[in-house]
Amino acid sequence: MKKTLLFSLLSLLVGNYFAQVETLSLKEKAFKDSIAQINEAANASAEGKEAYNRGISLFSEKKTLDAIKEFEKAIVSDPKFLAAYFNKGVAENELGMYLASASTLNKLISIDSTYNKAYFQRARAFQGLNEFDAAEKNYEKALVFDPNNVKVIYNYGVLRFMQKEYKDAIIKFSKCIQIDPTSAYYYNDRGSCYRMLGDLPKALVEYEEATKRNSNLAFVYNNIGTTKKKMKDYPGAILAFNKAISVDSKFHMAYVNRGATYFTQGKNNEAEKDFNQAIQIAPNYSPAYANLASILIAKKDFQKALENADIAISIDKYNSTAYLNRGIAKEMLRDMKGACEDWFKAKELGVELGKNYFTTNCNN
Amino acid sequence: MKFLFKLFIVLSFHFGLKAQNVDFKSSNFKTDKEGFKKAEAAIEQGNVYFDKGTKLLFEVKDVKGNFHFALKSYEIAQAFNPSNALLNFKIGACYFNNLNYDKALTFLLKAKELDPNCDPFLNYYLGRMSQLEGKLEEALSYYTKFTVEYKKATEFTKFIDQRKKECENAKKLMTSPLRVWVDNVPELNSDKDDITPTISVDGGDMLFSSKRKNEHLMDSIGEYDFEIYSSTMEKGNWSAPKKLIGDINTNVDDVVNTISYDGTMLLMHRSVNNQSDIFESKLLGANWSTPEKMNANISNPKYNDRFACYNHTGYKIYFIRDNEEAENGYQAVYSGMESKLRRDYATTTFLDVLNSKFNEGPMYITIKGDVLYLASQGHGSMGGYDIFISKFVQGQWTAPVNLGYPINSPYDDFFYSPTVNGKFAYITSNRPGGAGGYDIYKVTYWGADKTPIVSTEDFLISSVLQPVNDNAIESKVDVTRKFLTVFKGNTIDLLNSQPVGATIEITDNATGKVIETFKSNSATGKFIITLPSGKNYGIAVKAENYLFHSENFDLPDGGEDNIVSKTIQLKNVAVGNTITLTNIFFDLGKATLRMESNAELDRLVKLLNDAPKLKIEIAGHTDNTGSAAMNENLSQQRAIAVVAYLLSKGINSTRLTAKGYGSKRPIASNETEVGRQQNRRTEFKITSNS
Repeated sequence: MKKTLLFSLLSLLVGNYFAQVETLSLKEKAFKDSIAQINEAANASAEGKEAYNRGISLFSEKKTLDAIKEFEKAIVSDPKFLAAYFNKGVAENELGMYLASASTLNKLISIDSTYNKAYFQRARAFQGLNEFDAAEKNYEKALVFDPNNVKVIYNYGVLRFMQKEYKDAIIKFSKCIQIDPTSAYYYNDRGSCYRMLGDLPKALVEYEEATKRNSNLAFVYNNIGTTKKKMKDYPGAILAFNKAISVDSKFHMAYVNRGATYFTQGKNNEAEKDFNQAIQIAPNYSPAYANLASILIAKKDFQKALENADIAISIDKYNSTAYLNRGIAKEMLRDMKGACEDWFKAKELGVELGKNYFTTNCNN
Repeated sequence: MKFLFKLFIVLSFHFGLKAQNVDFKSSNFKTDKEGFKKAEAAIEQGNVYFDKGTKLLFEVKDVKGNFHFALKSYEIAQAFNPSNALLNFKIGACYFNNLNYDKALTFLLKAKELDPNCDPFLNYYLGRMSQLEGKLEEALSYYTKFTVEYKKATEFTKFIDQRKKECENAKKLMTSPLRVWVDNVPELNSDKDDITPTISVDGGDMLFSSKRKNEHLMDSIGEYDFEIYSSTMEKGNWSAPKKLIGDINTNVDDVVNTISYDGTMLLMHRSVNNQSDIFESKLLGANWSTPEKMNANISNPKYNDRFACYNHTGYKIYFIRDNEEAENGYQAVYSGMESKLRRDYATTTFLDVLNSKFNEGPMYITIKGDVLYLASQGHGSMGGYDIFISKFVQGQWTAPVNLGYPINSPYDDFFYSPTVNGKFAYITSNRPGGAGGYDIYKVTYWGADKTPIVSTEDFLISSVLQPVNDNAIESKVDVTRKFLTVFKGNTIDLLNSQPVGATIEITDNATGKVIETFKSNSATGKFIITLPSGKNYGIAVKAENYLFHSENFDLPDGGEDNIVSKTIQLKNVAVGNTITLTNIFFDLGKATLRMESNAELDRLVKLLNDAPKLKIEIAGHTDNTGSAAMNENLSQQRAIAVVAYLLSKGINSTRLTAKGYGSKRPIASNETEVGRQQNRRTEFKITSNS
């Protein structure tokens, strides 16, 4: 009673008071609810933006999968959040999730077809999916917006290379060189186009140009080596592989290629050493095991050859060399059925010798 | 002392074990003269067979059972005296010629140990054994020794030369082995001789001959006769052999030679009383007909004829033939016919190019007729029978060429029956590792030499290693949460709580700007608006005949509690009422009005303008901090400052008085900061309203 009286007195003295409304009329309640909805929407939008910003931070920290999840949250919060779509698409490309990326960027472009950066990213995604025609269209579209974007031109050139359109790829890489003549990469890739066109001397010239621009690219020396091997310049090839290894002593591919060159020269001990070195550096490098199997076959150690070919195939089920060699090992170990299966597989993977062995040995 | 004793024991043991040749002299067997006589007689009897067999051997003739019979006699003598070098040699030689090489080696070595000069042919047989064991240099040295040490060696030049050639051939052939596997076929072989595996062209059926146990009586040397068996390829393996039923098998040697290419006829030979002839049988339904002896040009009673095969046209039969006069053993011949109806096989023709100075063996001509496989002990053999290949070129057979190792070995390898695709063949061999006697072996060709391959790899495109990706993403965005709060309330009379229609202004105190002006409902006094949350606002309320009301309030941040209610009680403008001006701000400890006060003061100006009869006293109050005099002075100066502002706005000075009360009239406790803040105030009091 005393408390009530005091409260009334205070109210009189203060003259007014605030209070949370406990009972509302229907209209007031409806009004309040409508405002609550607006607030919820505002909150969701803010949370979406926060997720988007977190996604950017995670992406910069290379936590790309986590970044994708945050961008997805942002999109759920705001289905028209274009930047979130774009970033998600880029992140998915980075992880090789090309199908997801293409889908994300499809949505973005369906919302805003003028979002020009999205076309380049979508081209990357389609390229990753081996949908070369679609990739091509997207590169073309990206170039409409930005005709001198060297990254777009370069990737378009790579696409044309993958499509075996080497002459067109040369045009693209030449344009890249025109824009940025200091890059070794464009010369290397143009050299590879010439190589694929069978113009090996010209390929070598381009590779040499690449090394002049950057003498620390082991893979370029490796390309020189394999090109010289194709030209049957084995000493030259060995020198190039040596150079590649001197630039990068852990470049397992150069060891394998040098070993293959030694094998061609009949220097099996040197070859074996190189294949083993490659395996030591890169225990999951399938060609090293497949090539080592060749040496072991030559040494008539068919059981070990079989074991190495097995490893090569367990790492890469499309290693045609391993299938062919394993077939030989199996034949010598009296597993003719297995040998025929392996030669058939090698044949399917495009090895002419596999076709020959299968045809002459496995057709009763 | 102990050492000497041990040495004595060791030497005694050594010399004690050293075998000594014990001649068959009566003086050596004084205690068993009867036994000696029997042994001597057995040797004598054995020598008859031995010499006969040896003669046949070096005449390149069939040694028949001579070495078996010799062995039987020798074994009697051997039981009596196992330490005679010559007897051991002869037993070894018998075993060798009976194709029991393991035992042969044991006795030959024993003979050598007892007396290496016991017989000049000991070196010859040791050479043969070394040859079989692949000890080719050792074999060559034995043959050389034989030639050097044996005065009559020149009589055997033909054989020694051949053996030496065989060693050289073997060396050559073994350095470049064929790409084949030669596997024993255990499902076909027995511990006796299993020979002549002739297969159908598709490789699905096989006939062969075997000396395995059968229902007939064994012969004088304890062997069964050859019978013909069949087997069928089932899921990669040969079925259990079944003896052919009918008259094709008899109680003499029945040896299948070959099946015709269409599988409807077969050639075989039969041996009766050391006379072998060639027969032909036809397939009638599932069984083979009673074999018919070929005409006299092929099965001639003057000759032994065996191992026949058809040629590809079916008009010729190739076979081997031997007789007592022949110097070089069995020779390859053929007989042709003019009419298949009459089957008028003509006189035989010797195949000179195929024949050597030694026995030739079974032949096989491929279905195309361009290749002939021939077994031979001569030509370029690497030892025993080897299989040779001859090609039909420009109407003639070429000189036979050794088929190669390991199809051929230093042992007997003969009878070559290939599948039509040439990937497999079946041969007969007595090489070690078999089931016993001659066995059937399967030859599997690997095909051409297979070259393993190596692969190289490149990064032809730089981007594989150094991706040229534009992975720049869009930038961060500002995140602001703009929530709204429902601000509702009502304006009522303080005294009677009746609704009062009032004009309300909402000021954003952060900016000083009036953001909303509205009126409460005149009938209910209610109002409802929305304001951005999380801010401090000023509310000013005025109504006719009521004192102006103002205050500040905060709306909480966030969107969850989104309604704030306020009841504003308005005071009638009655003389004596005092109203606190809550939004009047001074600089700290000074009487300088701050800009933020203008809104409140302007509302007071408006009130005074609205109520022109109103006279007021502006009263300044402080808390009790500091001296009373100072507080009084400060409150007086602040009241004056407010009056000055009002005057500046055109309010008549007669309507205004300023009074500083210092801390004399607290409205709250000065003991707390909140109380002190409430006590620091500016009020106006209505002194007249008329």
